[in-house]
Amino acid sequence: MTNPLRTALGSALGSALALALACAAGGCGGETQDAAPAGAAAAPAGLRLALNWKPEPEFGGIFEAERAGLFAKRGLAVERTGGPGAPVVQMVQAGQVELGIAAADEVVLARDRGSDVVAVYATYQRSPQGIMVHAARGAGSLAELFASRGGTLAVEPGLPYVKWFEKRYDLSRWKIVPYSYSVAPFLGDPEMAQQVFVTAEPIAARRQGADPQVFLVAESGFDPYTAVVITRRESLRANGARIGDFVLALQEGWRAYLDDPAPANAVMGALNTEMDAETFRLGAAAQAPLVEDDFTRRHGLGAMSLERWATLAKQLRELGLLDRDVDPQSCFAEPVLQD
Amino acid sequence: MTAAEAKRAAPGVAVRVQGARRVFRARGEPDVVAVDGVDLGAAPGEFVAILGPSGCGKSTLLRMIAGLDRADAGTIAVGEGDARDTALAYVFQDAHLLPWRTVEDNVALPLELRGRDAATRRDAARRAIEQVGLGDAARRHPAQLSGGMRMRASLARALVTEPRLLLLDEPFAALDEITRQDLDDQLRALWRATGMTVLFVTHSIAEATFLAERAIVLTRRPARVVLEHAIDLPAERDAALRGDARFAAETRALYAALARGNASAAA
Amino acid sequence: MSRFTEAVLPPAATFVATTLVAELAIRAAGVSPLLLPAPSAVARAAVRHAPTLWPALATTAQAVAIGLALSTVVGLVAAIALASSRWVERAFYPYAIFFQIVPIVAIAPLLVIWFGYGIRAVIAAAFIVSVFPVIANTLAGLRSVDPALRDLFRLYGASGWARLTKLSLPWALPNVLTGLRVAAGLAVIGAIVGEFVGGGGLGVVVLEAMRQQRTDLVFAAVLHAAALGLALFAAVNAVSRLTLRRWHTQEKDA
Repeated sequence: MTNPLRTALGSALGSALALALACAAGGCGGETQDAAPAGAAAAPAGLRLALNWKPEPEFGGIFEAERAGLFAKRGLAVERTGGPGAPVVQMVQAGQVELGIAAADEVVLARDRGSDVVAVYATYQRSPQGIMVHAARGAGSLAELFASRGGTLAVEPGLPYVKWFEKRYDLSRWKIVPYSYSVAPFLGDPEMAQQVFVTAEPIAARRQGADPQVFLVAESGFDPYTAVVITRRESLRANGARIGDFVLALQEGWRAYLDDPAPANAVMGALNTEMDAETFRLGAAAQAPLVEDDFTRRHGLGAMSLERWATLAKQLRELGLLDRDVDPQSCFAEPVLQD
Repeated sequence: MTAAEAKRAAPGVAVRVQGARRVFRARGEPDVVAVDGVDLGAAPGEFVAILGPSGCGKSTLLRMIAGLDRADAGTIAVGEGDARDTALAYVFQDAHLLPWRTVEDNVALPLELRGRDAATRRDAARRAIEQVGLGDAARRHPAQLSGGMRMRASLARALVTEPRLLLLDEPFAALDEITRQDLDDQLRALWRATGMTVLFVTHSIAEATFLAERAIVLTRRPARVVLEHAIDLPAERDAALRGDARFAAETRALYAALARGNASAAA
Repeated sequence: MSRFTEAVLPPAATFVATTLVAELAIRAAGVSPLLLPAPSAVARAAVRHAPTLWPALATTAQAVAIGLALSTVVGLVAAIALASSRWVERAFYPYAIFFQIVPIVAIAPLLVIWFGYGIRAVIAAAFIVSVFPVIANTLAGLRSVDPALRDLFRLYGASGWARLTKLSLPWALPNVLTGLRVAAGLAVIGAIVGEFVGGGGLGVVVLEAMRQQRTDLVFAAVLHAAALGLALFAAVNAVSRLTLRRWHTQEKDA
């Protein structure tokens, strides 16, 4: 079972205001942190990285890079912060952190709202987000599921892919309710469907005796990069080399994690005791094909394509979530890599 | 209703207190003997003033007579049988009106609590309000009244049941001198008109002298009787009497007893 | 100056001045609208998203109204029961305090499990956070009844019911209204938290706007919730003025 709704809810309302205050107090400029002389001395260069969830396999490469000293090897001291409900995009925008984890659609949305965030690394080539139902429903696909007798669908309010579903499928027989970050309601209701990361909730539900079936959101044609590392374009200009080093170390971290997730899983398991070792192991295995595919084998782990960003921007525009056209090229960047 | 009719309808009742004793006990504090072996009484229709220093237990005595407090020892009798339940009224140190009710509804409250019908209540309340000279203020709320008017309303509330025994606990102590004398005059007139028995607790010698037929002087706590004294003044009393030599003589006698009571308790 | 102008002008002036200063400061500092939208941007979002905000406000208002009504009834009954004897108070009051200290955010998911998704869970959340101030204030009022008036009612043989309806409850009315003033604001907070998990209303608008990076809409929704709280507060005040107009505290203090 998952998670602290308390944090998620508390921060939902609070964080915008807290950030606003932090901002009003002068933290918004952000340049000051970035302007620290890059690699001026032997002292490791600090980078703050805001996560948007608890330690789970989706961050495997980060924890492996940290554990194996891959950041340190490149002279980086990465400080992890954030967690469930953290307003990561706002934290990055405000300059409270140099780096953060978000979904690709958040990047496009934020840019539409005047933000300057860009993606520099895409963990998941194919989105690990899915809809979990009880296998007994016997649906063969998302289309079949939504065409069936209906039920309750628990999803985080405001998820773009739910709008996408509403556009593509007929959801009139479904009651859409907020997801409370717990699989308990799902376990108790055979007509319930809920959002999941394929790396976590379905495994937890199965281990609690349910027989879940998961349909990837990507199957519907909406497939944003997920667990994307974001920064600000300004940071990239000022500290491109350092961020480039981070990306290289992260690639190495992911390579090592894909080859053997056990050491990093042990580290994460100690920090996130709600998930046992077996769930970590299964989650890592489940996500591997989403992290590494033909595209990454050609272009490297974490690589992104203009075509995918363009599709996403177009889809979000069609859903009425953007006020103007967003240039897909502006959404991501290849940091200046060191040789 | 004429005064004579009122007298027939509500003739005063006798009050007899014998050996009354009241001790207040509180955990962690020494017992306080408020009243100790008090004997006193009032004849039917008599106006008796109970005089004593502040905090001497006068109020406790009055509350025991009203049945609001019990005696630890001794007997207290009001009239015969259930007279105490039906024919007694009590006026507190302050007006204690219900702030959300008009004067008329405040005055009618005792009848309302006793289940009288609305018409009876209204008639009786208006009569009582007239008796205390508040006719103009019947529809007003307590907050709109002066202190003296509030006290009159409180008095009307006591009179509305046509009590056979009226107990007053320093009722006018908080009022200014002129208002107080005015109310004293009115109370005495009401007593004469109705024939009820009145027990009037006060610490003012002048007030006791002016109002009562008889004064009972108590010592400091625990209250004991030091003097019972018939006030030798004419039945018709008015403001001029306060300057009279006879009035002065009566107050001197009471003052001496009060001083004696104070000293004996202090010794 | 009329009493209305006197009451409205100073807070209106404060509002206009604060808004203006905020607008200018945010523009001058060039703060990203993602972090802190200028008042004008919030106002634009409120207008643009009115078709979302107004029905959401109506939904939230309905849950708050029902939750508050429940708090009033249950709070009054509970306070009367607690005031009935020292023993009952000692036995149950500590558990009434539970309502004050319960971390609503933590138990909100349970409300969904108990009451299902939708307005019932939201009403329950609004009720839970707003009932205690009603209980506590009413109890204080019932306990503060003038002892002389208690004596008076005893003297005239008043029944328990008469003591309650003609003395204790009216006496406690100012306290009840004080409790309701506090409860009104809390009920709005409770409803929003309830909506975070139960769905519907401004709570979901806030979550959606957060997820879709519409900070201006977050502020607009929060302001709508605040306006709801203020409206309820003003309504309780109006009731206070109407009912307590004729009493003066001096009578009660006497």
